[in-house]
Amino acid sequence: MFDSKIGVFGLISDAGPVVLFVLSVLLSFSIVSWAIIAFKFSYLRKSLKESRVFLDFFFDVYNVEKVFTESEKYKHGSLPKIFRSGYIEYKALDDMGNSRQAKARIARAIKREANNENKNLSTLVPFLATVGNTAPFIGLFGTVWGIMTSFHNISLTQSASLAAVAPGISEALIATAAGLAAAIPAVIGYNYFTQQISTIERDIEEFSPEFVAALLNEP
Amino acid sequence: MKKFYLWLALAAVAHAFALCAAVFFQIWNAGNNVKPKIVSVTLVSLPALAGGTQELSDGEGDAEEIPAQVLTKPEPSPAVETVQQPVVKEPQLQPSLSPKILAEKSPASQPANNQLQKALDRIKQHVDQKTPPPQPVSVSTLNSALAKLQQKVKSSGAENGGASGGRGVGGGEGKGYGTGGTSKSYKAAVASIIQKNWAFSGTLLKNSNGMAVYVRINILPDGTISQIIFDRPAVSEYLNNSVKKAIEKSSPLPTLPKEEGSHDVWIGFVFSPEGIEK
Repeated sequence: MFDSKIGVFGLISDAGPVVLFVLSVLLSFSIVSWAIIAFKFSYLRKSLKESRVFLDFFFDVYNVEKVFTESEKYKHGSLPKIFRSGYIEYKALDDMGNSRQAKARIARAIKREANNENKNLSTLVPFLATVGNTAPFIGLFGTVWGIMTSFHNISLTQSASLAAVAPGISEALIATAAGLAAAIPAVIGYNYFTQQISTIERDIEEFSPEFVAALLNEP
Repeated sequence: MKKFYLWLALAAVAHAFALCAAVFFQIWNAGNNVKPKIVSVTLVSLPALAGGTQELSDGEGDAEEIPAQVLTKPEPSPAVETVQQPVVKEPQLQPSLSPKILAEKSPASQPANNQLQKALDRIKQHVDQKTPPPQPVSVSTLNSALAKLQQKVKSSGAENGGASGGRGVGGGEGKGYGTGGTSKSYKAAVASIIQKNWAFSGTLLKNSNGMAVYVRINILPDGTISQIIFDRPAVSEYLNNSVKKAIEKSSPLPTLPKEEGSHDVWIGFVFSPEGIEK
């Protein structure tokens, strides 16, 4: 594949099947991790932004119908979604005279939507933790295997010179490097998203009772 | 989830792009690398080798003054000469012998590659001072130097005891210690035994100049060493003690040959960081 055997790709072309398999697994991990990072980053960013704008509107306008109409604009925000679910439940209970029962049902509908939203926010994020934890070990496995093969070849060639030992160890170490390259962004992304999701969850927990009170015209 | 698949495809494309960029960067980088010129360096110049070989083949300091016949065919020399030769000897020149010869002479000097290198440099300087400017060396000159060296190695293996035994301070016939009659093979055997028991590392010495111990030992007919006399101890107590311990450890030696009769014999040795001379 390469004219020169010097360099990382020259070494990869000489690597054994196990090391190549490990590298391909790590490459797929890296691709999926980056896809999740990009997807979640855009999703959470939109969610936070829309929730912030919606909350400003919610506290400015006291008419729930207007707030509902405004919430229809925000498709990704967690708080607008939860408000919508509460409003729909409130409209369904229009003919119900017992306000205590209505409050309980609205609260239950908001709670259900909040749980659903929490699940949506956390989807795919655990995979980043998995990659962050396992990729270095998978890379290490490839390195250990490569070094084992390298030493086996040394015993076959009956030569322990640096020229005989170094290429095998070098190509084996690529697996560890690839594992770290896959794990580091995954760990950074996981920590960032965990922090962002916990912020949104705190907002949901804090403003759910406010929505119930606003829908029932309670002070 | 459609958006996620879109991101997945984008990530795969980005990875492929990054890999391609890395490959092109590697190729570009390899193309820009300028290979350094290869300079072949000869460690020992041929004129110095020829002079050095002659100089070192007899272990004497001034090799130019000694005829080649003396070097190749060592003959029993008069007592006066045998006493004086070790005095003239410069032990620091010996390490420049070929590694094989050194290995035979002194195992202690084997690991001392640094010492060997230093000695080699000293010899080069010495030769440069004394010899005329280097002349073009032909293949025949090299062959003759090699032949001399091989002959010397053979002679030192077979007759080293006799050739240098005369040089031993304690063992010189002229001093009347009675070693003249001792067979060469027996001396060689004794030297070999002591050499094996001699644990000494020349690397521990800062300076090997003048580091030679002139010792004579008295051997009883049953091989027991009855007396050890330091005719000229070295400056280094470490060297002196190592020599004493080696000789004590070697006792009893093999019984004396029958031709020696029933009387004891004296054998002299010169211990230097480079090895033992009989």
